[in-house]
Amino acid sequence: MKIYVFWTIFALFVFFPISLLVLQSFTSPGSLTDVSALGWEELFGRRRLLEATGVSIVIGFFVVVCNLAIGLSAGKALALYDFFGKTVVDTLFVMPLLLPLLAITFGLHIAMIRIGLADTAAGVVFIHLVPTIPYSIRIFRNGYVSLGKRMQEQGEVLGASVWRTFLDIELPLLRSSIQSVIFLTFVISLSQYVITAIIGGGSVVTLAMVYFPFLSSANTSLVAAFSLWFALLPLLFYIGAEGLLRLFPYQRKVRR
Amino acid sequence: MKKWLLVIVMLLVGCNDTSEGSEDDISDMNFDDIETSAQNTEVNLFMWGGDDGINTYIDEWVAPRLEENHDINLTRTPMDTGDILQKLRTERQAGKQEGTIDIIWVNGENFKNAKENELLYGSFRDKLPNFRDYYDKEEFTHDFGTETEGMEAPWGKVQFALQYDAAKVKNPPETYEELTDWVEANPGEFTYPTPSDFTGNAFLRQMLLATAEDAEALTEQSFDRKRAENYSDAMWNDLNEWKPHLFREGEYYPSSLSELDRLYSEGKVSMTMGYNEARSEHLINDGVFPDTTETFVMDSGSLGNAHFLSIPFNSTNVPGALTTINYLLSPEAQLQKMRPSSWGDNTAIAIERLPEDMQMQFEELDRGETVPSAERLREAFRPELDTDYLEWMTKTWEDEVVRTP
Repeated sequence: MKIYVFWTIFALFVFFPISLLVLQSFTSPGSLTDVSALGWEELFGRRRLLEATGVSIVIGFFVVVCNLAIGLSAGKALALYDFFGKTVVDTLFVMPLLLPLLAITFGLHIAMIRIGLADTAAGVVFIHLVPTIPYSIRIFRNGYVSLGKRMQEQGEVLGASVWRTFLDIELPLLRSSIQSVIFLTFVISLSQYVITAIIGGGSVVTLAMVYFPFLSSANTSLVAAFSLWFALLPLLFYIGAEGLLRLFPYQRKVRR
Repeated sequence: MKKWLLVIVMLLVGCNDTSEGSEDDISDMNFDDIETSAQNTEVNLFMWGGDDGINTYIDEWVAPRLEENHDINLTRTPMDTGDILQKLRTERQAGKQEGTIDIIWVNGENFKNAKENELLYGSFRDKLPNFRDYYDKEEFTHDFGTETEGMEAPWGKVQFALQYDAAKVKNPPETYEELTDWVEANPGEFTYPTPSDFTGNAFLRQMLLATAEDAEALTEQSFDRKRAENYSDAMWNDLNEWKPHLFREGEYYPSSLSELDRLYSEGKVSMTMGYNEARSEHLINDGVFPDTTETFVMDSGSLGNAHFLSIPFNSTNVPGALTTINYLLSPEAQLQKMRPSSWGDNTAIAIERLPEDMQMQFEELDRGETVPSAERLREAFRPELDTDYLEWMTKTWEDEVVRTP
């Protein structure tokens, strides 16, 4: 019974709207029966579409990598170790979510100009860390809490190095946290418009920079095609990342 | 791990080549030299990107021609004007002299802002041969009351116009006196949006210019409360005289233009208005306005504003920017911009200054049946007031019209 409820809700709120979007992208604006591929043709006719897509993927990739590195280490420290001022640090890590992102960006922009990061892709990666890192730290912290200290102590007792423990025990067991972080941070990075515009200064043109101004366009076919293209990216990235996760040790033995 | 990250960051920074800024002083160069030094360079145009017609015009029509004629690679970057100015302000603050923007699209309040914060390159307009040859310098001395001082070059313009249903109105009023008579003779058929609305405010500003004794004193100087109060008596009198004859006896004013448009499309009033002389074209096509809708500008003046192209203070390619702006101001680029199939925006050119065959082309261009002719628009054109009038109008209207019984 429950499964029917789930599928009904899924069909109604997920499948139906998306299929409308697909339908609109293959018909002429304002009509759902008049078949035309003009929406897609116009989309790929945009000069900077593919370039911007590439830029978005590269930036998203580095944002995800930084998030994994910082999230794993900070999350572990917060979950497993006791140290002076832990609660303060914990609160500070969430601060970027509580302050208005634009205010942070304007402040950081000046600093970035001084150190030469403004108008560069590295600067954009950096600013995308602000709205993503707090989530990653939370997710990994919870991951490590449920993992517990004992698993690692066991490795230590058996004589494994810190690196070995991380690789063979922590990574495989934190897999679902890693998946969440990859997907979440990539989606957040992909959809940042204003902060990318300010720090990237227009020299770094991501997909959001091309896409957002078009949302008010009257050409609904083009907007539909654009939206689908936009939604396709995180999906492809996720599939790619999933492939990489298969390289972790002990993957086939982990029950999911 | 951290070291490895640092290396990547350094690599990414390294990838972004900082192109050499040409520091040549352009004031001593003649335009041929400027065009020559602009060859084989990249020009970055930052502009609002929410209209497909405009974007296509730049990307598909202008960019290839610039490449072919001047060997310039034009890159359009979509960004809201407010964000662009914010970026420039921060760069000014941080002392960044090598910016990424060569051309911006501004007018009105944004221009005033940019000028006051010294975000602009300086006076360049009179260097442009196309501006000198084909444009009326007098027409562009002010932008919403702010002196342009050649720091921006006119790209196009829009004008305030009224729309009426020709099935109900035979001879539309040409002046505000005639409008007063018409309102009295046709009770309940006219109203205007409150001045807190952009269009309602423009309607009253246009009326202020038409009824004031000395309109030039208002347009050519910055806002002055005393002067505004002195010159506005006639307008407040008229508005109060209209009140009992307006839609619903003036007890209600539409709070937005879309409300007035709805009243008009339902046939409850016979006129509507808007700050774009070509607006009724698509509204008729979309079936919102009746087919019998006509657009007119009043003899007593139609408020107009121009939009401009300007160069930021830290552009690294001023010769390229000048060459590009000069091309955008050229008759052929302006003609293409005006076609309804392209952007549909009115030209800022003084048509009578063009060579005869070009004049013909402008005159023959069909902007759509309801759009008033270029000549008509030029005759009626009145420049905008200082931006501070907007707020003053909104507040004073409450006191003078709403609170007066």
